[in-house]
Amino acid sequence: MELTDAGLVARVLVDDDQHAFGELVRRHQSTVRGLLRQLTRGDLALADDLAQDAFVRAYKNIRGFRGEAKFSTWLYRITYNCFREDARKRKELVGINKEQWQAELDPQTVDPGLRHDLMHALSLLPLHERSAVLLCCQNGLSHDEAARVLEIPLGTVKTNVLRGREKLKKTLAVWAH
Amino acid sequence: MSEEIEQDWLDRKLQEAAPYIEDDGFTARVLQQLPVAQMRWQFLRPLILVGMSAFASALTYVLSDGGRFLLVEMFKLTTIPTLWVVAFALASGMLVMAGGIFAAMSKTTHFQS
Repeated sequence: MELTDAGLVARVLVDDDQHAFGELVRRHQSTVRGLLRQLTRGDLALADDLAQDAFVRAYKNIRGFRGEAKFSTWLYRITYNCFREDARKRKELVGINKEQWQAELDPQTVDPGLRHDLMHALSLLPLHERSAVLLCCQNGLSHDEAARVLEIPLGTVKTNVLRGREKLKKTLAVWAH
Repeated sequence: MSEEIEQDWLDRKLQEAAPYIEDDGFTARVLQQLPVAQMRWQFLRPLILVGMSAFASALTYVLSDGGRFLLVEMFKLTTIPTLWVVAFALASGMLVMAGGIFAAMSKTTHFQS
């Protein structure tokens, strides 16, 4: 039977089991890397470096995970902190590598034109709205969970999601009809 | 298109625009960067238990004059009257039998419920 995230965390805590932590990395690497790719506006190398940093930090601080929230929410928080610290260092000088970003995406599921416009519209959103939209609309976190990840009040998250959504809808209006 | 349908459409498209990213050695790279697992107390636990047991046995052996008390107690047992030995064996047997019956009965009740 497959262990839950909480079970794997318990193994890491009790036995310092790095294989169990490896399983956690395998389970969450796609969402964490995907989130960072979009937060860094398509800088794949930077996103992967930050993702590695986030997982290593999660391992070192795993005793701080008290199980009050889902493991993924806790991990997103660390991931977002890694991104924020790096962005502060770089003063948001993160470039948009659209060609590489587009090449990585699977053309089977979404119309490439729509995807291009969607990614472009996302990259134009200010960071606070982009983060809230990505966490709530793309990664399925509740507003409450997103507030914990972003360390901002619940009301602010709701406002950011609403505004971000409105802007995306306006930009993508032509695709919605 | 209603507000709700529009919202669902947007969320769905956002989710579809984030396909699964193949691992491609990412997990292995993370595991290489993890600090080396330190030897924790739980690995020393059996060693400590065995060591303490050995030490306690040695101490008992030394303090009891080479286990002499065992010989003394054995000798005392041989002097017990035969009737006492028979009574003790009978009582022990009955006690074990009562325990067995009780266990069987509680198991039967458990299965019936």
